Parts: sequence; structure tokens; C-alpha cells
Amino acid sequence: MDMAGNPACEQFVPRLSPYVDGELTPAERVTVERHLSACRDCTGRAADLRAESGLLRVGLDMAVDDVDFKDFAQKVMARVTPERPPLLERLKLSLSEMFLYQRTAMISSLATAAVLVAVGLPLLMSDRAPEGYAAERMTVKAIQPYENARVAPVVMETDNGGTIIWLVDEETRDGSSPGSEDEELEEEIGGGMSPDGAGTKKPARPATDAPRPSGGTL
Amino acid sequence: MATDDLTLVKRVRSGDQRAFKLLVERYQRKVYAVALGMLKDKEEAMDVSQEAFVKVYKYLDHFKGDSSFYTWLYRITVNICIDVIRKRGGGGEAVEFDESQAMDLSEARIGALGSRLGTNPQKSALRRELAEKIQEALATVPEKHRAILLLREIEGMSYEDLSRTLEIPKGTVMSRLFHARAKVQKILSEYLELDEAKSGVGSE
Repeated sequence: MDMAGNPACEQFVPRLSPYVDGELTPAERVTVERHLSACRDCTGRAADLRAESGLLRVGLDMAVDDVDFKDFAQKVMARVTPERPPLLERLKLSLSEMFLYQRTAMISSLATAAVLVAVGLPLLMSDRAPEGYAAERMTVKAIQPYENARVAPVVMETDNGGTIIWLVDEETRDGSSPGSEDEELEEEIGGGMSPDGAGTKKPARPATDAPRPSGGTL
Repeated sequence: MATDDLTLVKRVRSGDQRAFKLLVERYQRKVYAVALGMLKDKEEAMDVSQEAFVKVYKYLDHFKGDSSFYTWLYRITVNICIDVIRKRGGGGEAVEFDESQAMDLSEARIGALGSRLGTNPQKSALRRELAEKIQEALATVPEKHRAILLLREIEGMSYEDLSRTLEIPKGTVMSRLFHARAKVQKILSEYLELDEAKSGVGSE
């Protein structure tokens, strides 16, 4: 072994690593420093250790700089947080929960929805907005009673351009109370505007191709 | 001032997910650097880093507050890395050191690294090939030695922390660190010498 002329090096070399790391006791440190002041080789070795230490730190730091950590934490979080079911599943779940725990609220809101459909749908289905809103003259295009309503609408136009809407009680046409005024009236206007067939309670769906109700003469 | 690790750990335990995200963001770079130094492969290092944090979260209840959070985190990281290396099987892995053998002090290159790089090399002065060479040099060191060297250089862990993290006596830390450094140093100074001979240029 070439000890570079200093046999003491053998015992100091293993202590150089903890020396540069600042891990020696103060007493050991003094001993090592005393040796270093007299040994060029060990001074060189200590410098090599520091250079290597810095090289590793900086070199790895450079390698880490090449990596994009933008999504890293997000990915970890996605793996550790309980999995969320897809949107549709969540929707189904919350709906079934609503039925379970909030039945009353649910039913009333469903009823509201039904009314909205009954009122809103005819408006939406007509090819354009009812004429006459905010206009001087308003034209009635269609009248639709609620399902099971006991009335049938009859629209008539008066001489001066006004509109009269009759709500004819259907009960009278069931034959239970024949000969009423209503029947007479119906005959008079020609029956064209009254619901067809006797006693059907199906709502008159506003057919888009239906002729525009123009009424008859009084 | 940043919230300390143990406070964040307590928050995670009480159900605060954001606290865990903060811990991940705090250590992601260093955990990755350790994994990269251990495995050399970028993708594997990334997978292992993710896995380490997931494991930490999963076993957070097992973490006793008597040690630092980061020593525990690095222990998990290093153990996953060693598992990965073992699964790879043989194939040119580093040969274990015989620590009973006295160190060969006859290196002709004493002072080679220090004189060329200075004792505090800067990123700007470091060439990319050298940075890559570092990872090659690390790969020649047995994994247990490599882990110590990486934790010391990247995290600046004290010997006491290294001993706790890797659950080995302080004396073993010291000797493994010494051997690991000698090996890496030999390869790097050889490389530098070769590099200089090729280009005929001195230190930068």
C-alpha cells in the first residue's frame, strides 16, 4: 500500500467522511484537523469528499428538475381518496335517497312538475308564441283543459272582434241531464268546436295542423 | 411559516385531505430524487414515489409520532425501491462490499474531484453527461449503501436520523457511507480524467 508517506492516514481516512459531514465529536474533530494540517493527501481526500457530496446533490437536483410535478400530488390524492362513482350513479343514488327520506317533498315537487308540463307543454308545442301578448288585439289559438276536467272549451268571436270562450260542462252531454240550454247552444254553433264524441274526457290535444278556431255566429 | 409535519399528520388523521396534499407537495421532489438515485429509471422512480405516498397514507395510523414523519416516509420509499430492485432479479447489480477488508488507500487520484469541481459545485457548472454519470456511479453501489448515501446527500440526514430511518446502528451508517463514497468517487474521478483526456480541457 502506498500511504503517500504517512502511515497515520490509514486510521484517519475512515474518519474523513464523518468529518465532512460534521458528525465527529469535538475532540475527534480536533484530532482530524491536526492531521489534516500536516497531510496534503488527506486534505485532498477531504476536498474530494466535499466535491462528491456536492456533485451528487446538484446532479440529482438537475435530474429532478427535468420532471414535471404539476399533477403528482393530484394523482396521489386520487389514489388515496375514496373512489367517486360516475355522475349517473351518483344521480341515481341521490334520487333514491330522496325517495327514501323525503317522500313528501318529492311527491309535491313531482306534482308541481306535472302542472308545469300541462301548462307549459302546449305553449312550447305551438309553432310560435301566442300572438297578441302586449298587442292591441289578442288571438286565442287553442284552449286545453286539464285532463279529467269536466269542461270542454268553445271559442267564439263576437261582431266587434272580441272573443268569447265558453266552458261547456261535459256532464250534460253524458245523457244524465238532457235538454239543457247547453245542448241547444251546441246545436246552434254547429258543434264544430265542441269535443267530438260524447262523454270522452280525453284532453283535446292542440293539434298543430288543426284549423284555427274561428267560432261561429251567435 | 409552514405548518410542521406532525401538525399536518394530525390533520390528515382527523380527515383533512388537504393536509396530506401539503405533505406530498413538501416531499415529492426529494422522494423522487431518492427513488431515482436508487433505481436509475425515471418511470420506475415516478411509480415508486407515488406508491410511497399512497402507502404512507394507508398506514398513517401506524405512524408513531416518536420519530419524524420524513424518516418514516423515506424508510417506506427505500424499502419499496429495494423490493423493486430484488424483483428485477440479478442482471449487473452492484456486488456487496466486503467491509471487513481494509480500504485501498493507494488511489492515485487523490484530490481529483476536489481540484476539478471545487468543494461546492454549482448547477450551472455541471454538464448533463456528468449528471447522468452520477446515476451510473450510484448503480454500482450496493442498494443498502446507496440508500444511505442518497438520504445523506439529498435530505442531508444526520447519522442519527439515518440510523433511525434504516434501523441500523450508527457505526454501520458511518462505515457504509464511507464505502459508498469511496466507490462513487472512484468512478466519477475516472470519468472526469477520461473526459479531460478526450477534450483536452481542464476544469470548468
